[in-house]
Amino acid sequence: MIEGLLILLGFQAAGELLSWLVLPIIPGPVLGLVLLLVFLRLRKTVPTAVDTMGSGILQHLGLLFVPASVGVVLFVPQLRTHGLALLLALVVSVLATVAVTGLVLRWLSPAGPNGEPEAHAQEPGDAR
Amino acid sequence: MRADLPAFQDIWVYLGGSPLLALVLTLAAYAIGLQLYERSARHPLANPVLVTVLLVASCITVLDMPYARYFEGAQFVHFLLGTATVALAIPIHKGWASLRGRTHILLLALLAGGATSVLSALAVARLLGVDMQLVQGLWAKSVTAPIAMGIAERIGASPTLTAVYAVSTGILGAMLGRFVLDALGLRVWWQRGFALGVAAHGIGTSRALSVHPQAGAYASLGMGLHGVIGALLLPWAVQMLG
Repeated sequence: MIEGLLILLGFQAAGELLSWLVLPIIPGPVLGLVLLLVFLRLRKTVPTAVDTMGSGILQHLGLLFVPASVGVVLFVPQLRTHGLALLLALVVSVLATVAVTGLVLRWLSPAGPNGEPEAHAQEPGDAR
Repeated sequence: MRADLPAFQDIWVYLGGSPLLALVLTLAAYAIGLQLYERSARHPLANPVLVTVLLVASCITVLDMPYARYFEGAQFVHFLLGTATVALAIPIHKGWASLRGRTHILLLALLAGGATSVLSALAVARLLGVDMQLVQGLWAKSVTAPIAMGIAERIGASPTLTAVYAVSTGILGAMLGRFVLDALGLRVWWQRGFALGVAAHGIGTSRALSVHPQAGAYASLGMGLHGVIGALLLPWAVQMLG
């Protein structure tokens, strides 16, 4: 567990360093992500310690953005006025995003919607 | 005055000043949030993050604890966000094998979806005359929250608002996404999953995972790629359009 955490923190630190020195426009942790991905692609398998630690952290990813999100208390007066409009913007946006992403995928997929072998064939009950 | 009263207040001041109170508050609220989520059969509206944020926000308001002091204590939790972002490489790596020559299709769909997400949100919010300060937070809201907050800092938007929008977007996408996909007749699991991951990041991904493993794998991939591409392109897009 400690080893896994140490490796993740190592990549995070490397990412921060890279962001600070070379690419200030990209957040350090994102560069750390890319570095770790390159490392994993080269190594082919995920070291058990990294997998255990990483999966553990990701399982409770939601908890980690609580402290920042609680800052919503600072915006309560503005949200009283604009909350409904913002909610509408978020709903329209997420519906449009799902639709556009899905449609582009279907449109570009060579086999077309009906030719896809895995359409419903991989439902858990059907798998052999 | 009773003799024990000042002592009690001393303890209160001590607890309030140390990270302990903020940490216990955050973790306890999250434990309650998780319980509620399980009891409601994982209903998207009972999202544990939403419940936790509402509980903690109510508590610090009642306790009259300034947000800055709460954050000072809770920053130990906040710090791990960066580590979690790095760990997102793991699901991307695992999903990589299933790409099978679909890379360019997925990237094009991601670019189209990402652009739609930003432009539609900005257009609606501006049309309805929302405050500019509030609108700025919308740029990164479809990117997974830890990366979205990093992007927000760099484009001069509020990381807090961005996180709140991101969580709301995730909940809305997890709740409403399937209706859009059904209405459009999109029945292929990997396409459904990827669309949900791009639009509703982590919360959409956990929804996709609970529906179908292939949908879940592609949703993680969609979330991860959107995070990386978003971090690359959004600061540039803000300069061009902002």
